[in-house]
Amino acid sequence: MSDSLRTTVLPRRVAAGAGAYWRRYLRRCEFVVALAALAGLWHAVSVAVNNRTLVPPPLVVLDAWFHLWGDELPGDIVASLVHLGIGYGAGVATGLLLALVAARFRVVEAVIDPFIEVLRPIGAIAWIPIAILMFGIGRGVPVFLIFYAAIFPVFINTLAGIKKVDSKLLQAAEMLGASRRMIVTHVVMPASLPLVLAGARLILGVAWMAMVAAELTGANSGLGWRIFWYQEFFAMDKVMAVILTVGLLGYVFDTLLRWMQARITRWSADGSEAEQ
Amino acid sequence: MSETQLRWLPLPVFGSVLLLWELAVRQSGQLSLYPYPGGVVEAAIRTVGDGSLLAATSGSLYRVLLGFVIGGLLGIPLGLLMGLLRPVNRALSPIVDSLRSIAPIAWIPMALLWLGIRGNAALFIVSYAAFFPFVVNTVQAVRLIDRTLINAARALGASRMLVLRAIILPSSLPVILTGARISLAFAWGSIIAAELAMGIKVTAGGSGAVGLGQLMVSTLYIRRDVNGLVLYMIVIGLISLMIDLVMRRLQRNLTPWR
Repeated sequence: MSDSLRTTVLPRRVAAGAGAYWRRYLRRCEFVVALAALAGLWHAVSVAVNNRTLVPPPLVVLDAWFHLWGDELPGDIVASLVHLGIGYGAGVATGLLLALVAARFRVVEAVIDPFIEVLRPIGAIAWIPIAILMFGIGRGVPVFLIFYAAIFPVFINTLAGIKKVDSKLLQAAEMLGASRRMIVTHVVMPASLPLVLAGARLILGVAWMAMVAAELTGANSGLGWRIFWYQEFFAMDKVMAVILTVGLLGYVFDTLLRWMQARITRWSADGSEAEQ
Repeated sequence: MSETQLRWLPLPVFGSVLLLWELAVRQSGQLSLYPYPGGVVEAAIRTVGDGSLLAATSGSLYRVLLGFVIGGLLGIPLGLLMGLLRPVNRALSPIVDSLRSIAPIAWIPMALLWLGIRGNAALFIVSYAAFFPFVVNTVQAVRLIDRTLINAARALGASRMLVLRAIILPSSLPVILTGARISLAFAWGSIIAAELAMGIKVTAGGSGAVGLGQLMVSTLYIRRDVNGLVLYMIVIGLISLMIDLVMRRLQRNLTPWR
């Protein structure tokens, strides 16, 4: 009894005393040590190879990265974010709308479903050549690919989320005289939110990959495009710096969405069920 | 409409869409500009006949499977290590997470530099893509194991090796297999991306390793055959479906208790 009280009521740090505090501090350091070891390994390899183009040393890459921030990197990040914003926004909006309509009208679902089953296995990447033909090299290719990558999972997760809504809740609301619109906004939408949000996080990861691939092959702006731009000058330190930026931003986005998802739908454990 | 009617509804809808598509393109009179169903069938007959489709597909598939095996051989042991030893997990998981966030195709310039344009660069990309789902799912699998099983075995005198062989490996197998399915699907998407990027950016240097991606690039820029492009997309989709089916069946057969 007192044990459970201690862990629930008091902050753990106070309850456990100074020893645990240091242990936790050391745990943070484990990561720093691992990171330092990785950088050390990288440095050792670069010294052994002794070729700045083949293996740029970590400090050179870091230096290039800091310089890029004052140069082209902010513009590239903005360009990528614009691609992502338009494509992802349009994909999520269309997917949600289609799912709402399909949930309301059984006929619509029956007609849409086979098209989705046929198109879904054809990944966004496979559309790159056709997208280049349709839109030419430019913004259209990444935006279209991100849109395509987002729309199907959003549709499927939202429909699954809506169908999972407890029918008792619907009947209760109906019996209490709620209008159809009120049922949608006050019962269906909150109840399906956890699955939809969990899906949104997974989809952002997929969309991020599609974006990089599309910018590498069919765009003239953005982080992916910039990687090849520097490759043409054999500026491999800058190539590495941009690659690491892609990873860093992807990581930040994922953490951000994970945090948001946990905050918005903290009542639910549905999050882990979303389909990619 | 009744349920049975609803179930059969897609067929006529599908058929009429294809028919309308064919008629619309034939009406427009620009057969080389837009893909149409008949043309896709023609392209299928032509490319299957001269063997180019089969050669490219098997080239890509071979590299995907090789990368998948490499990713599994490296990823499962690392995942076991991270799942079993907490300090290792705490130290490595931020690094794994940040490397995982890098889209595998972003590594293409470095891979080209290190391994050259013949097959190996694509193989690096695929192995990189396949590696992380294995790690993440193996860690998850080990986490989900019932600790009382391990404690009971240890109390009854089982050695660490026996615990690993008799408890940890069998009970983490289902989740690891889920990881394998995700990994193979992701690897397949990545090889197409890698081959496309290599085909578009590295035009010089011959066709040392021709896969579906490079075939698509040459169809786009050299032969300008839209029907061929649609055909290759369909092939890519079919192989994705096949991968999913085979892996799900494998999962059912290997872990029937799940």
